[in-house]
Order: sequence, then structure tokens, then C-alpha cells
Amino acid sequence: MLTRSTHGVAYDNVRDVFLVPNFYAQAIQIFAGDSDGEVAPIRIIQGPLTGLHNPDKLMLDVVNNEILIPQRDRVLVFDGNANGNVAPKRMLGPKRGLGALVVAPDPIHDLLVVAGAGGGFSGRFQIFDRTASGDVEPKWVIAGPKAQLQRFMGPIEVQPTRGLIVAGIRTNEELGGPDNFVGVWDLFARGDVPPIYRIGGPNVLLEQVRGITLNPKHKELIVTDKRINGVMTYYFPEIF
Amino acid sequence: MTRKGILADSRRFRAAALAGMVALGAAVVWVQSVPPGELQANAGRAGRRPTGSAQLMSVQAIPGWADGEMCEWMPASAGSSFAALIPEPLEPQSQDVPGRRGPAPMPTSEEVAAVNARAPVRMIRDNFPSYSSIAVDMKNDELVMTDESTFSILTYDRRTNTPPTAAFSEPKREISGGDTWIEYQCGVYVDQASGDIYAVNNDTVDRLVVFSREARGNTPPDRIIHTPHTTYGIAVDEPHQELFLTVQEAGAVSVFRKMAVEDEPPIRLLQGDQTLLADPHGIAVDSTRDLLFVSNFGSVTEKDASIVSPQGNGYYAPSEKANWPLARNAAVPGSGKFLPPSITVYPRDAGGDVAPIRKIEGPKTQLNWPTALAVDPKRGEIFVANDTGDSVLVFDIMASGDAAPKRVIQGPKSMIKSPTGVFYDWEHDELWVANFGNHTATVYPATASGDAVPLRVVRSAPSNTGTPNIGNAYAPAYDSRRDQILVPN
Repeated sequence: MLTRSTHGVAYDNVRDVFLVPNFYAQAIQIFAGDSDGEVAPIRIIQGPLTGLHNPDKLMLDVVNNEILIPQRDRVLVFDGNANGNVAPKRMLGPKRGLGALVVAPDPIHDLLVVAGAGGGFSGRFQIFDRTASGDVEPKWVIAGPKAQLQRFMGPIEVQPTRGLIVAGIRTNEELGGPDNFVGVWDLFARGDVPPIYRIGGPNVLLEQVRGITLNPKHKELIVTDKRINGVMTYYFPEIF
Repeated sequence: MTRKGILADSRRFRAAALAGMVALGAAVVWVQSVPPGELQANAGRAGRRPTGSAQLMSVQAIPGWADGEMCEWMPASAGSSFAALIPEPLEPQSQDVPGRRGPAPMPTSEEVAAVNARAPVRMIRDNFPSYSSIAVDMKNDELVMTDESTFSILTYDRRTNTPPTAAFSEPKREISGGDTWIEYQCGVYVDQASGDIYAVNNDTVDRLVVFSREARGNTPPDRIIHTPHTTYGIAVDEPHQELFLTVQEAGAVSVFRKMAVEDEPPIRLLQGDQTLLADPHGIAVDSTRDLLFVSNFGSVTEKDASIVSPQGNGYYAPSEKANWPLARNAAVPGSGKFLPPSITVYPRDAGGDVAPIRKIEGPKTQLNWPTALAVDPKRGEIFVANDTGDSVLVFDIMASGDAAPKRVIQGPKSMIKSPTGVFYDWEHDELWVANFGNHTATVYPATASGDAVPLRVVRSAPSNTGTPNIGNAYAPAYDSRRDQILVPN
């Protein structure tokens, strides 16, 4: 039931499952953590009650056992044990201009970071209460030229023990460009604030960043890049 | 209890547990250093008497427990709170900052520069070409393949057979580089008359590129056709000068004039619920029977033009082009389904929302990610590159329903591994297979069956070179239990 052009995966280290969004079938597939070869998912979230609309990416809140699906003008939140044709337990939005491309929960500070377009591929971080629902305003926003949030493509992360947002930033060239990087921002900053760190670029290695994930155990940052067509691991103890 | 209270209790528990472990370690050390027989004597001197229940007698330090990386402390159940693992704030909380844990880094400019320039400690990447689609130029006796690992189009002598001792075979010509617009090319067609090469991009640049036969290096294409997003397979009907493309996301077949250029719209569109197109991939035309064959992975959603937002942008924008397929912009939320993989058959000139005249589907078919198709009109056979089945399936061209393949090429001797391309060379009666899974292209007699040894093998990497199978890796995830990285493609 998997297909090509799979743009998301998330691993739940508490329940030892991983989840994959299937864009073409509008489904969320949940697999056992040790799945290998041709094995069926243990659960599938799919159907008209779900409201899933081209689910491209998904994120997990393993503390609160929730699955988050960013869908541009809304963020669907499912119970982590959801199965079948079920409605989300909560929805942030619909909100005109929300532009939710990727999200990152912070279960320690009870926040939700929504990363997306502010229009014309100028990105921004909008920080909401973790359980915000409906058409509500963010608690604060990080955006502006100094913030350098040109465009997001793949997952971002919150590093909650330090209060940091880690995100890959790509530029708009179709075949990549030198100004891509992974940045680190203060989660609690407001307005037009620059990243604290940039790694992998600009003008270093990265050409078209897709997504990132963190490995706290080894203090590593893992980055995928479309133009390099690879997966890079950086040792980055400064953010842990 | 408040979150602060939970943390406080958890800290006390951890401190107590830590103290207990230290004491236990010390006592075990004491036991092991005591000669046999003295233990009882020491216990007596220490004032211990039998109590009828267990007593701490000795401890031993666990070797190396204080060194090395920090273990993840996994909660015992899903109900356990991850919050218990979070350390105390390193500084007093600011009244302006809602419950912030730990300070943000405040690096010096030198530290920032050092991080910026840092190289990765590891990189997972295939540095060798991986063949994704294949075609033969029969007039010039050349083999043409697309490569989705290093982004190239490679041309070899058709008779190339990489010696076992050789690292790989050098192509006669290679087209690659930023000016070529070649990226994730997944389909290829060779014009037998002119030698022109048509290469399909899957889902990154939405351009079909056309090169002349002699093109090499970082050269711009001679022609570009702007295509819908997520095109995959290509077929051309020369008698009618029509070019067919499967479009995954739309569940459609877009038909262009073979010589279309730039933004020229398609001349025909096959799309709709009746078509049974579901994540279509492979495509082939039988010009003698005037039939169109499409292989489908099975994922599908309903489309509704009325929900396309006029204010949309990018993939959500309405299109003004005639015969442009409805795509994600028109997907009905919650309408997705998983259908079985299939091959659907239509009249060549089918358009609109029409049902197939035949469908091959069912468990006997063995279809499993049927990624590419080729047709032998003379014998009346369809060849299927059956990706996750590690096989090539051969069906009768008139097969229908839950039909078993006439032949299956599969097995270790065949070297078929994640086949994503297949081509029937009618001049030499040979069947070519592009194996994305092992850096090879293999060729067989067209009637090959079973675990058939290839007639020739073209390798792009040393024998038994593993492939990470990465193609446009998107969103990584880290599995902390297994210390593994999950990478969807």
C-alpha cells in the first residue's frame, strides 16, 4: 500500500511504530517499528470522516500520543491510536492564510509550531498553544527578512530542552541553489529575528533541503537534500 | 498534581534510585573482594543476624556505567510521561517567557562560523548510476537508460556485457548537469527514426526533455514539454504521432502531440472514476491493435473540479490549459482508497471518463508495484517490470480478470532486482530490464522464463555494490530503539 513519492515518515519511540502518509490514497498507515519487507500496516486511518486531503507530511507528539497532519489552512490532530474512518480529535483552523506546511509540537512547553508560507514563499513560524483549535491567532510569530525563512519543504523539529526550532530552509530554484541551510531559531523569539546557527549552508554543501530530524542520543542532526539525493548526518552538540 | 510537582517527584525518585545504585555497586565490590568464608564472619561482626528475609550483604560496581553516551530512558508504558525525562531549568524562568526550560544558546561569532562550515560526519548517497528506465535505439545499436541516482541519461553499445572483473561499463555518451533539466527521470523513449531521446521527469521539475541522439555533457535539451506534476511512464504511437504520459497524482493519462513544445496543451486527457486509473505508472501502446495499456499501483482519490479554488497557487491553482488533468487541487478530502494493482486496457484514442475495455487484476496476476510496461505485438504479449515482486511478468495481450502470467522471469540467476524499466527489442527479439535495485541492466531472449540467466549484463557499479535505493529522500525519522534512520522516497 505504499507508493512512490512518499514525503513523510515519523517514528514513535514510545509505542515502537512508524507512520507514513499516503498522498494518493489519502491515508495514514501505521506500521510496527520492526516492519521489514512486504508487511501490512497494523492500522490505517482513511475515509470521509478523516478529512484527509492529500496528506503529504505528518508529525507526532509522542508524549500526548497525537498525530498531526498539516493541511495548509488547517492542522488535523488525530488520537495516536486512531484507526479506520475516524474524525480528528481536534483541528487548528480552518484559518485563512495559516499556510501550514509542516508543524512541530513542543509537549514540554505545550506549544505547537506551525511553519509555512506567509505568501509568495516567504515563510514564517507561528507559535500556538499546543491544543489550539479553530480560527485562533498565534501567540507569537517569527518572520521577516532577518529570520531567513525562505521556504520549507520537509519536517522541522522543536528541541524542547533548549527551546529551539530546527528547520531546513530551501530557496526557490527548481534545481537547487547555494543558499540552502538548516537553521536554529529561539522558539521564544518574536518577530524578525535571525537564526542562532546555520549549518550546511549557505554556500557550504546543501543544495535543496528537504527535511530534518534530530537524534538526541548521539547529539546529531539528520538532513535530507533533494539535489544531493542523499541523507547527511551532522554532529551538532550545541543544540542539545 | 502540577507538571512541576510531577517533575519534582520524578527528580526525587531518580535521585533515590541513583543513590541506591551507588550503594549497591559499592556493596558488590566489597563482596567480591572478601575471601570465601569470611562473608559470614563479617556479617556477624557487622551485627547482622538472620532475619528470615533478604538483607543487603554486598555490592559490585557495574563496569563503565558512568561513562559513554546517555541512555534513553524509555517509559514503561505509553502512559508514562516523557516530561519526567526533562531536566530542571538551567536558569530562573523569565516572567516574559512562558515556562521556558533551559537557555537558548548564545554562541560567539567564531562558534557560529565553525558550525556553519561544519561537514557532515556521514552521508548516505549512491554515487553510482541507478538505471530507472530503458530503451534500445535499434538503428544505431545503442542502449539508452535514465539514471535516478546521479541524474543522467546514459548511452551504451547495445552489445555491452560488463566483464565480471570490471568495475563497471563506461557509457558511450552521458548527458547530465544543471543545464539539461535532468533530475529524477523515470521514463525514456527513443525515436527509432531520428534517435531522439525523450526522458520523463517524475515529480520535481515537471518538464519532459528531448535530446538529439548525439547530445552529451551538460547541454540544454533540444526541446522541452511542460507536463502535469508526477508524470511517470511514456509511450509514443508513431503512426498517429502521439505521446502518452501517465500522471500519478491525477490518476490520468495525458496525451500530447509527439512534437509538442513548451506550454502546448495536451490533445487528449483520460481521467475519471470510470477509467479505474489508480496511481498509474507504466504505459505502452500497441499500434497494430490500436490499444493502450496502463499499469496501476492502486491508490486513488476522487476528483471534483468544483472544489478547485480560483485563488489557489502552485499545485492548487486552476489551469487554463485544455485537457489539463485535475490533480491535488481537486482531490475530494477523505475520498482516498486502496485498490489492487492492475493493468487497464483502453482503445488508443480513449479520452474523457471512459471505462477500460479490459482489466487484469487479482492475486493470480502477481502484480506488485507494476512500474513499467512493454508490448510485443507480434507474439501478443505484455511485459511488466514488477518492482517489489523482483520479477518480470509476461501476460497474453488479451488477458483479462484474475489471469496468471504466461511466464515469470525471477530468481537469483536472473539478477532481476527492483525492476523499474522494461523494453522489448523487436529487431533482436530480446527483452531488456532496468534493475534499480542492483546497478544493472539485464537482457534475455524474449521468451525467457523462470530463473533465466541474462544474455548480457550492463553494470554501472562494481559487482555486489549495495544500493541505498534513495530517490528524492524527503522526510527522515530517527528510530532511537534500533539506532536507525527511516527514509521515505
